[in-house]
Amino acid sequence: MRIVNCVAVCTSALLAACQVDYHPYDTRIHGAVGINARNIARIEAATAGRREIRFAVISDTQRWYDETSDAVAALNGRGDLDFVLHAGDMADFGMKSEFERMRDILGRLDVPYAVVIGNHDCLATGEDIFEDMFGDFDFAFTAGNVRFVCINTNALEFDRDKPVPDFGFLEKQFLEFPPEADKSVVVMHARPFTEQFDNNVARVFEYAVSNLPQLQFCVNGHSHTYDVAEPFDDGVLYYGCENIAKRSYLLFTLNDDGYECERVGF
Amino acid sequence: MAAATAQASSLLCNADTVVSTAVEGACAEACDRIRGERRRLDRRVHRGYEGWERMIPTHVKVQYAGGMGLMSAGVGWDYGRRCRWETDLMTGFLPKAYSDRTHATFTVRQSYIPWSINISGRIALEPLTCGIYVNMISGEDYWVREPDRYPGDIYYGFTSRLRAYVCVGQRVTCLLRGDSALRGITVYYELAANDLDIIAKCGNRSLALSDIFYFSFGVKLQILR
Repeated sequence: MRIVNCVAVCTSALLAACQVDYHPYDTRIHGAVGINARNIARIEAATAGRREIRFAVISDTQRWYDETSDAVAALNGRGDLDFVLHAGDMADFGMKSEFERMRDILGRLDVPYAVVIGNHDCLATGEDIFEDMFGDFDFAFTAGNVRFVCINTNALEFDRDKPVPDFGFLEKQFLEFPPEADKSVVVMHARPFTEQFDNNVARVFEYAVSNLPQLQFCVNGHSHTYDVAEPFDDGVLYYGCENIAKRSYLLFTLNDDGYECERVGF
Repeated sequence: MAAATAQASSLLCNADTVVSTAVEGACAEACDRIRGERRRLDRRVHRGYEGWERMIPTHVKVQYAGGMGLMSAGVGWDYGRRCRWETDLMTGFLPKAYSDRTHATFTVRQSYIPWSINISGRIALEPLTCGIYVNMISGEDYWVREPDRYPGDIYYGFTSRLRAYVCVGQRVTCLLRGDSALRGITVYYELAANDLDIIAKCGNRSLALSDIFYFSFGVKLQILR
């Protein structure tokens, strides 16, 4: 009888634990990959031709699974959003399991979402995992009549093997601005003059982004504080989004009258 | 009765040191038999080496997964009363297909196996193994100390090269008869969680224990003793 019990315990333990881990930094992703491209297609299709869009920004959700789950519930409860942007730092240590958990939580959003890479997402093999799971580090999409330019600004993590920020990409955004858009928003993780940013080119970066047609504002994460600033005294506002542990998100509404930003607690 | 048995056991064991090799074997078996009557369940015996021979590994292990690569293999030593303690040195590999490039891993594991339950003459179940291990991975993307490019003394404040784990598991051992070098085969599984996941679990109610414990299994071959 004891043997039967032991076998039962063994079997149930085996069944309960079917996940295996080759290494916390292996790149063997379980579940959805290529999320940004797929979600961007959904955003563009759903907002095509519109002149008013509303989206939320969350940021720095690393290792705050409870709070991120609450944020998803709060955002789903609104019912008036077109999409959600994540301003980077999905993972705290760049581990694959962190990305998978966060992806699964954000996957419960009723609206599509897109993620910008944060400095914590680059640790160890994190950048490979991010690339597989979400896509390019620099990307752009059009929602209604607004062009969203999302750019990797985590220069400290890339050690000159990649141009960060990539001015070639920014130039292309300027030269190939789509006809259906007439204004633009720039999204990044670390804003200029933070330690992550390549501050040697901060003013060049500002020159490049402010040349985008009708730049409305820039959004960033990284500093974990709600901070609206005009770092270059040129009229371009940077909206710093709090980390999710502060239980807030930024809500943006853009229409022909301009735009509104609201910090919403949950 | 118990006293008499103990005396007989003691006599037989003392005799062990003076009689010839042939008698020695028979005596050891008799010792086991008498001890076996007292502890029918736990039959683990460390016949043991003396002196420098203690350095010789008592087993080899091959393991699948467990945060030490796709496969890992190594040697180890069991020691202590009824072989309850076990130390393993493992080397593993993580192939390029599952990472940015092929990596090697190195692991030191300390296990404690409190009980062994003899099911039949040759099969024993070890219902609980528990342990800790530290794993190191090769590759320039990982660090023990943060690279100098980061400002301040602590920027991230963790090491990506070293991971510490706690593990629990179970085993089944088949004892082989005869004088061959292979004395027993053990199959085992473990559920292991790493330090960073444990930290994450502490701060998140929505994270279940089953989210942070990962399954691994392996084979242990008892050799040469």
